[in-house]
Amino acid sequence: MINKLRNLKLTPGLILRLLVGLVVLIYLGWRIYQTAFGEGIYGPDTWMRFLITGLVVGGMYALIAIGYTLVYGILFMINFAHGEVMMLGTFAGYFALEAFSAIPAPSAADQGLSFLNANPVIALLLTFIAGAGVSALMGYLLERIAYRPLRGAPRLVPLISAIGASIFLQNAAQLLFGPQRRQYQNPDLLWRGTGWMIPVGGKEVMLTYTGLFSFVLSILLMVALFILVKKTKLGKSMRAVAENKQAAALMGIDVDSVISKTFIISGILAGAAGVMWGIHNGLFNHYVGFLPGIKAFTAAVLGGIGNIPGAMMGGMLLGLLESLGPALLGLDFQLKDVIAFTILILVLIFKPSGLLGEALSEEKV
Amino acid sequence: MKTALKKGLSSGVVFGIVFIFLLLIGLINVGSMMVGDLLGNTKGLAYNDPLPTSNLLAVLAIMGLLAGISARKGEDESKWWVSFLGGLTAGLVSGILAWLAIWVTETMSIDGVNFQTYLPNMDPNDLNYLRFYSTPVAAANTYLVYFVVFSLIGSALKWLFSINGWFAKCWQVCREGVSTWKESKNLKGVLENRWVMLVAFLIVAVVLYFLPLAWGSYWNYIMGTVAIYVLLGLGLNIIVGYSGQLVLGYVAFFAVGAYTFALLTAPEPHGIGLNLWLAVGAAVLTSTATGFLIGLPILNLRGDYLAIVTLGFGEIIRILIRSDILTVLTNGPKGVTNVGQPTLNGEVFSDVNYMHLLLLLVLIGLFIAKRLKDSRTGRAWIAIREDETVAQATGVNTYRYKILALLLGAAFAGLAGAMFASRNQFTGPEDFTMMVSINVLCIVIVGGMGSLPGVVLGAFVLKGLPELLRELEDYRLLVFGALLVVMMIVRPEGLWPAARVKFKKPSGKQAKDLATEVEQ
Repeated sequence: MINKLRNLKLTPGLILRLLVGLVVLIYLGWRIYQTAFGEGIYGPDTWMRFLITGLVVGGMYALIAIGYTLVYGILFMINFAHGEVMMLGTFAGYFALEAFSAIPAPSAADQGLSFLNANPVIALLLTFIAGAGVSALMGYLLERIAYRPLRGAPRLVPLISAIGASIFLQNAAQLLFGPQRRQYQNPDLLWRGTGWMIPVGGKEVMLTYTGLFSFVLSILLMVALFILVKKTKLGKSMRAVAENKQAAALMGIDVDSVISKTFIISGILAGAAGVMWGIHNGLFNHYVGFLPGIKAFTAAVLGGIGNIPGAMMGGMLLGLLESLGPALLGLDFQLKDVIAFTILILVLIFKPSGLLGEALSEEKV
Repeated sequence: MKTALKKGLSSGVVFGIVFIFLLLIGLINVGSMMVGDLLGNTKGLAYNDPLPTSNLLAVLAIMGLLAGISARKGEDESKWWVSFLGGLTAGLVSGILAWLAIWVTETMSIDGVNFQTYLPNMDPNDLNYLRFYSTPVAAANTYLVYFVVFSLIGSALKWLFSINGWFAKCWQVCREGVSTWKESKNLKGVLENRWVMLVAFLIVAVVLYFLPLAWGSYWNYIMGTVAIYVLLGLGLNIIVGYSGQLVLGYVAFFAVGAYTFALLTAPEPHGIGLNLWLAVGAAVLTSTATGFLIGLPILNLRGDYLAIVTLGFGEIIRILIRSDILTVLTNGPKGVTNVGQPTLNGEVFSDVNYMHLLLLLVLIGLFIAKRLKDSRTGRAWIAIREDETVAQATGVNTYRYKILALLLGAAFAGLAGAMFASRNQFTGPEDFTMMVSINVLCIVIVGGMGSLPGVVLGAFVLKGLPELLRELEDYRLLVFGALLVVMMIVRPEGLWPAARVKFKKPSGKQAKDLATEVEQ
């Protein structure tokens, strides 16, 4: 430890880092003191509301972040178009719900009933299958068309290709479906703006059905992914490929097919997150994937890129920081997006391996 | 034969899907309009005159040709009937897909289905045109026939070019001829002659002086935009092309330059009214300082992290500019109006003056970039780009050189920003979205990383051409995205790749001297 300190050289970069760290710490301490002991602007019910929002959004971030982490773990590239994969899932879910609400399923009690409200569980299940399916297909095609021919190229090359694919998909969606915002048709069971009232500190806070639904579903999906990676043969081969592609190939693992399957799995998770995004937030357009994509990447870096539990934790943490942050720091809510970027920058400056990531060797970093 | 069938099938499926996609986004229609413009085959004088359907047929023919050509890519020695088979399969498969797509959409459209609720680019009038104003089945049959016939022609052409490899041989001979001509002493003597270069430079200067006078304000506006993007491209080329650091938030420096200039010269919101040329200097300085501050903590991150962090910075600066807390300083989302304009002989700069100024700046920028590239600094950057670890091992202070690259790149962006704000007389936060960074990155990459003529060419292709092809405006970014992917796969070195400096092997006596020197 002392040796380490002794060997430390005071480069301008280090001095600046220390200064930035000091300023941030002092500001944070002062703000937290203010919100805790100063005159309270927000009551406990407001904090509860922020907490709920944070957890719901965090679950979605976590699902998308897993996609980044899985791909990064295997190919060491940032799948820049992952947010766009999620966006296509949102569109697919929207069209599925539109179709279900157009199919009539009249019952004795209600002649005007649609399939969506007659069988909401089946309809939702099919919607999620549609969203996840389209996203999985997009993930697969993306890898086949834009990334596979570039295997072994210098690192910037696939990244630029990914940026190109992202721009292409975003504009393709805009040209196909138009730039206007569209609204999700939820079944009556999951109507936005309805939910349970929870009494907190004398006031009532609404826990929306859509929020709870999204949160529970994202947790379930994460558990399923964890089991897949840890317990199944596919998961084992994914881990093997992530560890060492050549050795994995020598052990008889079809590396290309494992990579394809990784893209499909991350597409499924992103598609599910996209449908949740639509169901929970309602309005969306072709930009819907951009910010969640970048934030989920932030989450993946925050947790330690390449590390699946890290991505889950990072997503939740980022969701919470984003919803609690502006109030905690006394900032405008306009600056919500700045928080995510600032966190990303701070993490990369101070701890590039993330909270849970191990120190990676030069080759992997 | 099996491979021919397989290739034909895959090419047919790809082109069929591409056709359907283009149909759904309305690009088939726009494409026929463009073909009409190119051939002079546009509408009649009357408002209601329909567009001639021959344009549409030309588009179909081009798609069929491409399908046929790609059906036998790489198979150079096969017999004629194999290529015939490949072309036939490709044409049939893509034709059948097109037949189905046209038949389904047209029948539905005649039945009164309005596609535009979900697919806004499927205009009923366009669909009428795509049907050749006749019945769905007849139209679909035309599509099928065109695809098959032109796919066959395409594969036949490809076959003709590949018989005995004569085309490849010709190509080889031509290339060798060009390279021997390039290497020949005469040409080198001419190129290295100072007077020849001087005369050439003078001619270029005269042409560049008279062009803006000749071509009117519309062209001056477009070419001015191209020139600003050349400046931006030159700056980013130093960062991405020379030193190999992928910076995605380049717009941050552009924004800082533009805002510094605007705030120092505009009457609102501060009314400083600084001398314009000092303000340009201040813009360059502030954006350089921003580059320094941003670069210090993050430049030791590697490749893709750097890309994302700089992207974050670009967005942060835009959000901050339009946020409430900085409205006092930057005028918020309204932007800054009445930005100062330079004067000449007591008159405000006209479009011609701006164009001259921009051309001058571009020439100076090109000169600086060229000299930098050939200098010790430039070689250090290229060493870092090729392999950072090795560069470090050979004694290059990588951190310092990377910061230097960022500083210089930011300075170019600051200059471009000042010019942009002054020419538009306005600057607002929405001028500085991430798309600007992406555009500039495209220019650098499509032109060829590290190549100066590449930057100019890239700016012309990506900023100038879309201005000319107005119909393509909506489709520009789509094409950019596809172009980036295709470039990376097919030609990662860019349209006009940077020439590698070749160091001559010492020959004869020189080599012996060197060898003895080393031994001693």
